[in-house]
Amino acid sequence: MSENVREIQAAQYEAEVLGAPEPVVLDFFSTECPPCEALAPKFEAVADQFKGRVRFLKIFRQGNRDLAAKLAVTSSPTLLFYKGGKEVGSRLTGDIKRSEIKQTVETMLA
Amino acid sequence: MASQFDLVIVGAGPAGLTAAIYGARARLRTIVLDEGMPGGQVKTTHKVSNYPGFPEDVKGAELAGLFAKQAERFGARIARAVEITKMDLSSREKRFVLDEDEEITGRAVIVATGAKPRALGIPGEDTFRGRGISYCATCDGAYFEGKDIHVIGGGNSAVEESLFLTQFARSVTIIHQFDEFQAEPATAKEALENPKIKVMWSHEPRAFLGETALQKLRVENLKSKQTSELPTDGVFVFVGMVPRTELLKGVVPLDRWGCVETDDSMQTSVPGLFVAGDIRAKRFRQITTAVADGTIAALAAQKYLRETR
Repeated sequence: MSENVREIQAAQYEAEVLGAPEPVVLDFFSTECPPCEALAPKFEAVADQFKGRVRFLKIFRQGNRDLAAKLAVTSSPTLLFYKGGKEVGSRLTGDIKRSEIKQTVETMLA
Repeated sequence: MASQFDLVIVGAGPAGLTAAIYGARARLRTIVLDEGMPGGQVKTTHKVSNYPGFPEDVKGAELAGLFAKQAERFGARIARAVEITKMDLSSREKRFVLDEDEEITGRAVIVATGAKPRALGIPGEDTFRGRGISYCATCDGAYFEGKDIHVIGGGNSAVEESLFLTQFARSVTIIHQFDEFQAEPATAKEALENPKIKVMWSHEPRAFLGETALQKLRVENLKSKQTSELPTDGVFVFVGMVPRTELLKGVVPLDRWGCVETDDSMQTSVPGLFVAGDIRAKRFRQITTAVADGTIAALAAQKYLRETR
């Protein structure tokens, strides 16, 4: 995994996501999920591109079901975008393109 | 400096990977580009029962992996999770830019980008996609342990995936517009005999409703014209596929379903450009027909490369 992507657990959500000084992209992923496997290298590539400016985190949905349910995340993978402790923009889910992630992050930074 | 190939295949589903096996075995420098992992629609199919050579069912993901392994064994390169950000098919040497970064060229191109799940196009679908609406049973099924869910559709995918979902869900209610399944009879029978599966015949979905997550599905009874709202824990949509021909818009003519017309050697109107698999205009779309298309396209591409050398 790229050093610019970190995996978190539900207990860290407040501090790592809501409390982050920089914008955050959070990836809910699952096992036995081909689109999640396909997303991983793209997510890392975009994370490397925005290194230091945007925080890229991933969280295992099976291990953090309550948080996923609380956030109404019901598909894997789902990407959520945060700025100043609030979710912003549209979520991305299913077959996600690298250019879509990049574009959403750029919009968030603008 | 661009990397040069003889054969560039776009899409690593059964059609693309079969073309890669034939291309690589013919000693063509062959690359397969895919936006995700190899396997196409097969990799999210929970089991495959009608592919010859597997008398016991084979998991879709496993079959997909085997296709890829076989292509790589003969030297085809599979580029995973890459996006084509620029493409020029007009000249003899066709050029691609990948992820705005790497440039490759090839003299023959086979586009086998397949199809993606059709959306219903009804209110609430965009809002609740990923918030209660799913198009992939293997990805999300396990989270519906003990829940009451709905499946939209009545073809092979809808009925087979409903059977898969009964492993987890307490009940699976299939909403189907006709009064019988379009799925193969053997599959349909299995579903009708499954105590967890209920079917609402002659019903169509009209809207997805909820606050932050999906809560209800509005359906219409096509016979009585009455609508009702069904509480639901989740909805899986399997109402057919649409061809992924975004790449070819403006390059070759598309028919009214968005598919590409070819001659019987998979050749398009652009010299050196072939298409194979579900994006091609044809009657039947199966793994076996995709594999056949891929074979023919690769053989025709070899001939084209020989003749235009």
